[in-house]
Amino acid sequence: MSGDAEREHANFERFARGETIPVEVGEIERELGALWKRASSAGDTHAGAAVSRAALWNLVIPTRGAGALAKTKALVDEIAQGVPVRAITLCLDDPGDVNAGALAGGGGLSATIESNVVSQPGGARVVYSEEITLRGPAGAETHFGALVRALQIPGVPTAALWMDAAMPVALLTRELLPVTDRLIVDTGSCVRPPHLYDLQRLAAQAHPLPVADLGWLRLGSLRLLFAGLFDPPVGGAPLRRATRLSVRHRPRGDLSALLLVSWLGQMLGWRPLRSVQTSDGGLRFDFTRDDGARGDVEPDVQAYLVPAEGACDASGVLAIELAVDGRDDYVVCRTAMDQASVQLPIAPAKAVKLDSYSDAELCVAALGPRGRDPLFAKCLAYAGGLWALEPQTTVSQR
Amino acid sequence: MKTLSEESLLLPNPLREGLVEERIPEPAAMVIFGASGDLARRKLLPALYSLTRDRLLPARFAVLGFGRATLTDDAFREEMRRGCEEFARRRPVDPALWAAFARNVFYQQGAYDDPAAFLRLKVRLEEIEHTLGLPGNRVFYLSTPPSAFAPVIRSLGHANLAPKPAPGQPFSRVIIEKPFGIDLQTARALNTEVHDILAEQQIYRIDHYLGKETVQNLLVFRFANGIFEPLWNNHFVDHVQITGSETVGVEARGGYFEQAGSLRDMVQNHLLQVLSLAAMEPPVAFEADAVRDEKLKVLKALRVIPESDFEHQVVRAQYAAGSIGGQTVPGYRSEPDVSPRSTTETFVALKLFIDSWRWAGVPFYLRSGKRMPKRVTEIAIQFKEAPHLLFGKRGETIRPNVLSIRIQPDEGIALNFGSKLPGPAMEIAPVSMEFRYGSSFGVEPPEAYERLLLDCLLGDGTLFTRGDEVEASWSWVSRIHQRWAAEVAAGRTTLDSYPAGSWGPEAADRMLAADGRAWRLP
Repeated sequence: MSGDAEREHANFERFARGETIPVEVGEIERELGALWKRASSAGDTHAGAAVSRAALWNLVIPTRGAGALAKTKALVDEIAQGVPVRAITLCLDDPGDVNAGALAGGGGLSATIESNVVSQPGGARVVYSEEITLRGPAGAETHFGALVRALQIPGVPTAALWMDAAMPVALLTRELLPVTDRLIVDTGSCVRPPHLYDLQRLAAQAHPLPVADLGWLRLGSLRLLFAGLFDPPVGGAPLRRATRLSVRHRPRGDLSALLLVSWLGQMLGWRPLRSVQTSDGGLRFDFTRDDGARGDVEPDVQAYLVPAEGACDASGVLAIELAVDGRDDYVVCRTAMDQASVQLPIAPAKAVKLDSYSDAELCVAALGPRGRDPLFAKCLAYAGGLWALEPQTTVSQR
Repeated sequence: MKTLSEESLLLPNPLREGLVEERIPEPAAMVIFGASGDLARRKLLPALYSLTRDRLLPARFAVLGFGRATLTDDAFREEMRRGCEEFARRRPVDPALWAAFARNVFYQQGAYDDPAAFLRLKVRLEEIEHTLGLPGNRVFYLSTPPSAFAPVIRSLGHANLAPKPAPGQPFSRVIIEKPFGIDLQTARALNTEVHDILAEQQIYRIDHYLGKETVQNLLVFRFANGIFEPLWNNHFVDHVQITGSETVGVEARGGYFEQAGSLRDMVQNHLLQVLSLAAMEPPVAFEADAVRDEKLKVLKALRVIPESDFEHQVVRAQYAAGSIGGQTVPGYRSEPDVSPRSTTETFVALKLFIDSWRWAGVPFYLRSGKRMPKRVTEIAIQFKEAPHLLFGKRGETIRPNVLSIRIQPDEGIALNFGSKLPGPAMEIAPVSMEFRYGSSFGVEPPEAYERLLLDCLLGDGTLFTRGDEVEASWSWVSRIHQRWAAEVAAGRTTLDSYPAGSWGPEAADRMLAADGRAWRLP
């Protein structure tokens, strides 16, 4: 076997195992094509199983630094189990990275290709999707846009997974959004609600693309459980008479809590009046159900964001409590990572399973129909409006 | 504890709006009649467990099995757990998830025609609903012998377990297994009985073929893609073949099959449903009645086979001894519970026409049989040849384009076309472009029962058969049965034979050969 043939054979073996193979940046597609041709030829498939090169999405993920890149690659591997994608990871080295520039050959761009292999039970079929990683020093982002355009599988939609606030936003807005069909963000990764404005701006720039939020999807189980309290036989009447809402959340879950308040406010037609800082470091929002502007009026509903501690998933939300007519409580309260207790005035409290999802599962959901939820954009805008209310300085006692 | 006001019952839940995409049904209880039978163990409970695993059932959901066998709740749960271990799509069963699911699984013993048993059922159901905080939404699944369908529905009516729909009230729906009648007369009679108790919108006549992903994809394939529908007519389609073959014989169901035969068992329901989806006009909306209206038009447009052409358009046969998968197997008449002089068909092939503008002159060939070389259900659309023969004058092989839609196994779609072989010569070879669910999406499609149970809980009847559809298909099929009955009465039965492991009798091949065509080898 010649040297070239040996190298090609070794590369194929590594590709079939899903290992990383460094390639020339300009030769990515040709190298992938050669490996697929090899995989398709007789005798090179795994135990004779059919090999299918599949991708339902191009998934572009900008990220920064070696640590974030490692997490992103683990995420992509997990996403491939749920939906075949061509993942194009764009990584800028941090100046402090030990390996910065090593792969890039001292300052240029480097590229690696990998396969994500999904075997069916019994090994009857094998699906491969692909992962391309482009890595370079700060400033390399100016090349990323053109490379993404060259590497997109034609005829397959493209999603941009924007989760790393350390990446230059211009990469997204100038280079990626024009070739993107769906933007995926994660409000759960926002440290404080002011980041809402950044997301709102992004969503506005992305318009009319669907914007999916992993944080919003993460709240899905809780929303579903809470909504279920008002299914028959209870019905929607108590919601019209709600007087007080409390969302208990862990300190970093205030944005999730704000989104939940916004969801109820949006769905129930509450009009925000004011916000008030509470003595425990939380916030109170006052609402009226009246459509007309009445100036400084008594609120019909008061909603509290209450910082608290307890077992919780990444959403950071511990409980939703709705008081109706000042006495009846409708409560969903997380009691463990995957358990909640639900409480209704008409039935004894009971424990139920509360599903929680991994980030990869949420990404898969975001690439599906749940990633086109028009309610998210409305609730995000509503949350932005709530946050824009200047909190009154009077300390409110709950 | 509070009681409910009239007002609260009438107000819809505004928080459900926007959760529609999730396709999570309202809290409900499902009562399975015939719960100690095979279908519950092999299909229904595994489907419900898989739905739970996929987080598609509501948090508040209960299953109440009802059957003649005397079982405790725990014994029923254990039996169903074993069924899930063996048949659920996702295995092994997750012990924690099963424990949570099984807590809301119950069993009630009773006879289908015993009014007192239904009153006990009602009390038990209300207890369960009260304990679990269920709103009274109910699905009744009739997984019983067909003879019990009418008694069960009558008993449901007498016990007021399934009231007709009213605004703001919980729903009651009834899923009825096949066969829905054994001919037009009995189907009509059953429809009448059922409609005495239930509104049509409460009735979900199940045909599990319609729950298969490829059957649903047929609608997407035709109506969501711009390139196929313009070709989907008599200008471009030469003919259509629909095959539903099984490798199994009658197994332990000889007694049932003697009464049924392939025409009743496969053609009247599965194959005619598949045919109607393949041939229907675009519905005005993807809604239950819009889709079913179009399917009904196809069934009503099936041309009655003229007496003079009957022998050229209908072939029936029985399998003789032969070999399947390397095993010698007996002939049909040697199977248990089968008469040695049986005239029941285990194979049927039909040539039929749809009298419509779109399909005028296009033959549809249907065949279904037991003990055939492999288990496959597919629709094959064979297109007309190119109008001018540019190639093929020097003996190159040019085959017509065939679009084959595989319903089972390996659900998918393949398009065959001719391609030039690499090299200096103009050699043409047929190649196949394939789409397979398993490999293209990396996941196996859900079981048909999962989809259908979920649809029923959501109140979506699109993939269920409406009463008039059932009557229309029986109307066409019953004429063939009447003709066969007349042959038997006249002592001149035309029944061919085929060896087990073959693709059917020679008469079926001759039927296509007479038209210059041949059956596909699927």
